[in-house]
Amino acid sequence: MSASTEYEFTDHTFDVVVVGAGGAGLRATLGCAQAGLKTANITKVFPTRSHTVAAQGGISAALGNMGQDDWKWHMYDTVKGSDWLGDQDAIEYLCRNAPEAVYELEHFGVPFSRTEEGKIYQRPFGGMTTDYGKGIAQRTCAAADRTGHAILHTLYGQSLRYDAEFFIEYFAIDLIMDDEGACVGVVALKMDDGTLHRFHSNETIMATGGYGRAYFSATSAHTCTGDGNAMALRAGLPLQDMEFVQFHPTGIYGSGCLITEGSRGEGGYLVNSDGERFMERYAPSAKDLASRDVVSRSMTMEIREGRGVGAENDHIFLHLDHLDPDILAARLPGISESARIFAGVDVTKEPIPVIPTVHYNMGGIPTNYHGEVIAGDPNDPEKTVQGLMAIGEAACVSVHGANRLGSNSLIDLVVFGRAAGLRAGEKLTAGGPTKPLPKNAGQNSIGRLDRFRNAKGSTPTAELRGRMQRVMQNNCAVYRTGEVLEEGVKLMEQVHAGSEDIGVTDRSLIWNSDLIETLEFDNLIIQARATMNGADARKESRGGHAREDFSTRDDENWMKHTLSWVDDARNVSLTYRPVHTYTMTNEVDYIEPKERVY
Amino acid sequence: MADMRTPLSRVRGHGSAKSGTDHFWLQRLTAIANVPLVIFALASVVALVGADYATVKAYLSMPVVSILFLLLILSGVYHMRIGMKEIIEDYVNGEGMKLLSIIGNNFFAAVVGLACIYAVLKLGFGG
Amino acid sequence: MVELALPKGSKPTKGKKHAAPADAKNLRTFKVYRYDPDGGADPSIDEYQVDMDSCGPMVLDALIKIKNETDPTLTFRRSCREGICGSCAMNIDGTNTLACTKGIDEVKGEVKIYPLPHMDVVKDLVPDLTNFYAQHASIEPWLQTTSVQPEKEWKQSTEDREKLDGLYECILCACCSTSCPSYWWNGDRYLGPAVLLQAYRWLIDSRDEATGERLDNLEDPFRLYRCHTIMNCAKACPKGLSPAKAIAEIKRMMVERRV
Repeated sequence: MSASTEYEFTDHTFDVVVVGAGGAGLRATLGCAQAGLKTANITKVFPTRSHTVAAQGGISAALGNMGQDDWKWHMYDTVKGSDWLGDQDAIEYLCRNAPEAVYELEHFGVPFSRTEEGKIYQRPFGGMTTDYGKGIAQRTCAAADRTGHAILHTLYGQSLRYDAEFFIEYFAIDLIMDDEGACVGVVALKMDDGTLHRFHSNETIMATGGYGRAYFSATSAHTCTGDGNAMALRAGLPLQDMEFVQFHPTGIYGSGCLITEGSRGEGGYLVNSDGERFMERYAPSAKDLASRDVVSRSMTMEIREGRGVGAENDHIFLHLDHLDPDILAARLPGISESARIFAGVDVTKEPIPVIPTVHYNMGGIPTNYHGEVIAGDPNDPEKTVQGLMAIGEAACVSVHGANRLGSNSLIDLVVFGRAAGLRAGEKLTAGGPTKPLPKNAGQNSIGRLDRFRNAKGSTPTAELRGRMQRVMQNNCAVYRTGEVLEEGVKLMEQVHAGSEDIGVTDRSLIWNSDLIETLEFDNLIIQARATMNGADARKESRGGHAREDFSTRDDENWMKHTLSWVDDARNVSLTYRPVHTYTMTNEVDYIEPKERVY
Repeated sequence: MADMRTPLSRVRGHGSAKSGTDHFWLQRLTAIANVPLVIFALASVVALVGADYATVKAYLSMPVVSILFLLLILSGVYHMRIGMKEIIEDYVNGEGMKLLSIIGNNFFAAVVGLACIYAVLKLGFGG
Repeated sequence: MVELALPKGSKPTKGKKHAAPADAKNLRTFKVYRYDPDGGADPSIDEYQVDMDSCGPMVLDALIKIKNETDPTLTFRRSCREGICGSCAMNIDGTNTLACTKGIDEVKGEVKIYPLPHMDVVKDLVPDLTNFYAQHASIEPWLQTTSVQPEKEWKQSTEDREKLDGLYECILCACCSTSCPSYWWNGDRYLGPAVLLQAYRWLIDSRDEATGERLDNLEDPFRLYRCHTIMNCAKACPKGLSPAKAIAEIKRMMVERRV
């Protein structure tokens, strides 16, 4: 039987289809349903299993519950954290709308920790300051150290109130694009029976998260494979700023599990093998609360210079043992448990062994601050793709630029999830006419699915994935040099070419996780290539991209977003797009680039 | 026949019966009452070991003793009936069989209870 | 409904044996429940030998190693690998727990791995949790208020917030519910420990204004009162929560509003 006759589509029509049910996806689904639109949400895992659940420290918003605060200060910090690569109109939108978004979450029922006055508790976080860098801000709203979990479960509960239809454990394969370059829907595989579903919609919102699993060691879940990013690439759309990968300073040595930055916010500090609080040298004023790229680089430098701890001198200690055990129990119970399980450490008595670990992708599908996807047209850098939006870690709005500040991702999820819902509500009318599906809608998905399902090559998916992960880990790390990156580009090309010989063992259609992992690997590898090539090309150091051979920021040549494209013949090409040097309103001025010191 | 109802429809079923708390409460209440009553009954039995029929009959026809035994019967039988009902609901398969068992349980409790009460009253009023 | 023996077609047979590479020295044996819905065959228990010198410390590490290197058809859910997403709940060494936080060294001898008990199995270690999720939805797990919403947050005292500790941390892994005999026998009508713990999380939230309606909805010989304080739930919870205590609190509230 030929591939196209063996598979049949079940068709669905919706006003909006959201792909992904993490924080951003659920918030957008809610928004669209509230706007009266017929909304579907497609997710490969049950909503509360999405990786938002693992976010710990908190969600930033200038509520001023712990002292004076101002969204303009939050904006300044975010711009500075982004190393001026962030688009300031989008950053203004984020910081201005942050308080409202947090209050909304509270009204939904998020169990935030409280102050004595009964307000939402806020803690200090890296790079968050008052009065344009003068003092330390307490801006990060927290539910102990399980803020992401609290938010995700609450959003899931809320989503049950509305008429959004959830398609759970459906794996999205590819977008359906028409001849005019508009997105008219998406194809997904129902995992528990292997049927194919074609979702026809006026708006498709990608909320598919990051691709941390392109690396060998990451704080990310196994499911963080950036499926939406890859779908965009295959649809002939670019990804933006993929070379900017955030290394979180405190992943547990060995397992890579996350220890929140909130642990340093509550008073924890890092020491080297001399017992020295080395961050005082690298960031004299912010010290351990400098932004993540700075701390990760400092730690890497200490280890390189022989001052790492442990038998191999290859990690750093995070001390919390000087903190009051009651404070640890009340505000950091989750990481106390993680440290015990994954490092065998009692945090009230011993330091936690930590190492910078891949954590977040600043890059993703380029969008404007309404969530609409940017087409990457060289003649019109603001041109959008009809019918397609992206939000959350999958998107690059770009509010995080070259480096994201801790607790700015949860706020990004809800502010832009909400924005996407509002925009869809403005643009669409419920039950309005949809653009027709093109004749061969979904055939590319069938082709891709069938090829992998019957792949008889000699290299198992796990082996190829391992190769890719090791190349990313070795050749695209905290510090990068031209030589290593060039080698990385070649090695990654080889791994990609090796997928011709991929072999899948499970041929079934019911819960075929071998097949799903293969589709995920196929998604990861093109993002890995975009990342490596983008990093190789960017000859400057900015935020998360630290080049030893070009150790300073070069605003003259590189104050621009990278757009990377990967075609079907596995060629990667790069173009560039200007950074927005303007704000959204005239209430706040563009923040001019200056030297970034903490 | 495939069940085509939605999972939520199945879970909501016939809705909440808005009962169960009385049973729960009475189960606890009778349990508490049973503690002193059973101790009293056991103590009585121990004290009467080896006694002749007339002594036992005289003891049991004392008003206080009679009343305490009546209380024990009421509390004990009610407790037994609720406990048995729970067990039937847990372990008896099939709605028909379950209903029969519950009816049987109620009848049994009524018969046992009334028989005991009759015996105590008969002794008390010198039958 | 009580079923003391497995129904026909569900009894596992002896399955395949997968040996470790010859040069491996530090071996452990994993016996894993396998069920392939396509073949129509009975489930089986497959045996895998795993080289511990090249395996991570957790049971999930071993399962992933088996899937990567020995048998890619082995199927299980997993995601965060740090005990917060609740995907990899399964029965390991006779106890329901998360594979990602269960150390292999906590198990003596052969490591026996089964899906969560008394659930329909979709494939291998993947159970069908549809009913469990629907039960969770049935308690309306969202904040319900009728007062006019404040411009800022609803105020909550630190003492009231503390009442949510030990409840809001639930990850819906279903380890507790599927360890409860009462839930095995009456899972169609009894809500089970996880869902009742979630229900109590909203009952005790000082911001919620629907406590009475929530109690009404739970007051039922089956939904709530099938809990016979067997306490397996508290023993099984991989997050150290006590659903049994939460259920006892709900019963206390029920009595309080009458007595």
